[in-house]
Amino acid sequence: MKIPTGVPGLDRMLHGGLIPNRPYIVSGPLGSGKTTMIMQFLLEGIAGGERALIVALDEPPNEIRANMRNFRRDIGDIDVLDANSDIRRFEPTPIVEISDEQEPVRMRDIPERIRKTPEVESHEVTVHSLQPLLKSLLRKRQYARIAIDSMTGLRYFCMREFEEDVSTQSFMRFLTEEKVTALLAVETAGELDVPPESFLSRGEIRLHRVRDDSGIRRFVSIEKYKGSAHEEMIHPMEVTQQGVVIHGLPPPPP
Amino acid sequence: MERVSTGVDGLDKMLRGGLPPGRPYILNGPLGSGKSILGSQFLVDGLRRGEACLLVALDEPPHEIKANMAAFGWNLDSLTALDATPDIKSHKKKNVIDVGTTLDVRRMDKVQDVRKSTQLRTMEVTIHSVQKMIKQSSRDLVERTKAHYSRIVIDSMTALKRFSLRGEDARVLVQSFMRFLSELEVTTLLVSSPITPGVLESEFLLSRGEIFLHKWIDGNTMRRAISIERMRGTEFDERLRPMTIGPQGMTVFPNATVTARGELTRSIDRPFLESQAAEEVNARVDDVLASVEAVRRVGGQTGEAEAALLRGVVALNRKRFEEAVRHLVTAKTRLTEEMRLHDAARRAGAKKA
Repeated sequence: MKIPTGVPGLDRMLHGGLIPNRPYIVSGPLGSGKTTMIMQFLLEGIAGGERALIVALDEPPNEIRANMRNFRRDIGDIDVLDANSDIRRFEPTPIVEISDEQEPVRMRDIPERIRKTPEVESHEVTVHSLQPLLKSLLRKRQYARIAIDSMTGLRYFCMREFEEDVSTQSFMRFLTEEKVTALLAVETAGELDVPPESFLSRGEIRLHRVRDDSGIRRFVSIEKYKGSAHEEMIHPMEVTQQGVVIHGLPPPPP
Repeated sequence: MERVSTGVDGLDKMLRGGLPPGRPYILNGPLGSGKSILGSQFLVDGLRRGEACLLVALDEPPHEIKANMAAFGWNLDSLTALDATPDIKSHKKKNVIDVGTTLDVRRMDKVQDVRKSTQLRTMEVTIHSVQKMIKQSSRDLVERTKAHYSRIVIDSMTALKRFSLRGEDARVLVQSFMRFLSELEVTTLLVSSPITPGVLESEFLLSRGEIFLHKWIDGNTMRRAISIERMRGTEFDERLRPMTIGPQGMTVFPNATVTARGELTRSIDRPFLESQAAEEVNARVDDVLASVEAVRRVGGQTGEAEAALLRGVVALNRKRFEEAVRHLVTAKTRLTEEMRLHDAARRAGAKKA
């Protein structure tokens, strides 16, 4: 029933993997390893012959591709939808909604250099245009796995501040109805921060990052997992060139 | 991947060669931790390699930066500077004009003295006008020399946001500004120290890395250290390394280790951030108090400034750090203005005599 996450050790913590067709979040502070974990999740789908899509909101796709060169896995088959808004214009110029022309591109076909804002118009990404676009893409291309990197970017830059909670709720509801396994990256500002997505997701994988004078130490915990038992302990983890590796797991059940 | 040197050898070693080029990075740390020094060192390194570099000055006027950096023996003459320090706020009705319509970037060797607020109008700095200035200036540069800016320092992003952003569009404007810097494909250091703990600032979310400068009191000596908190696209040294600021600028010791006091261990926690914010605000309170004394000594008016100071201290007590800073900046501006009026009067008196 459950599907593998692509992270060795995480499946064990989740007692077998994720229940498919539901939205989950991977939360943690900046630099805790969320994007790497997401890539592993998508690659696992590709390896199983599925189609996988990442919606890039915080970083331009060309940089994601360049950064992943250190990572010893080929991410070329992952589709990427560039949902970074253009530079805003302050003069009245035509605003092009993302849904009008943006299409996902295979990672391997992403150009080396950043896409430039055109001189005469501006792409603007709002949740109101992204949602219908994703809806038609999910139907047309039959994605089994989708990742939003990050949900915080979507909330900060694509939603009006006063309707943030309602829009977030409606977006997560939309993902549930679409029957796709979704992993949403959520940035947290400190250990005590509980982002709104925590309440709405079916599960939360929390990444912790502790800085002390010996360096940065990373940990992972399962904060919530609806419909399944899960590991209760916090485990140390590492971000390596092979991806996220989780340590200190109990021996597998007989 | 090619790399851009930070101008500090030890830091380049920590970064395994330098910063991945063409991206925006955050330079974070408490007041007086050396953020502006590192920023200048980064620019000086670029100038030495014959690159075109731009400084966007929002905290300190360029002539002060020039003087401060001369102390390290650095020559900033060929640096282009954009003076985006806001004018003294006028409380009489004046025409408010946007900085983008009048100011121009200047080479540092042309910078002499503080730009005086004019009597007739007040200059306002907005994130949009700063963006327009950078764009215009890079266009001019391409026309003149066919070169592009390779390094930009924004000192500071905190000031740009605090004084130049109003309304609910703040996040979107920061996103657009960061996108603008990304499309320029220029390596940018954004000096930014968040003052409200527990809030993720948009520029942090969109930056591709963060360098943190630490300072703390150990017994009765000031100790300093540097760390790379995150860096996209490269492996890096995750440890804290000792750092000093000496007559030649910043030096990082990439092979030495630091034993920090307990507070540092908790540096991602709220209490630590709060104490850090409180420290910064306290430093400003001291500074304003000293200015009040100075103005009183020359017989100037301090009433308004003291009222603002009081509001600042109240806000500090309630842990509303950002509000406290706002009041303290108002107080400081008022006192600076008072001092300037006094100096002008004295000079006029001397001339008559």
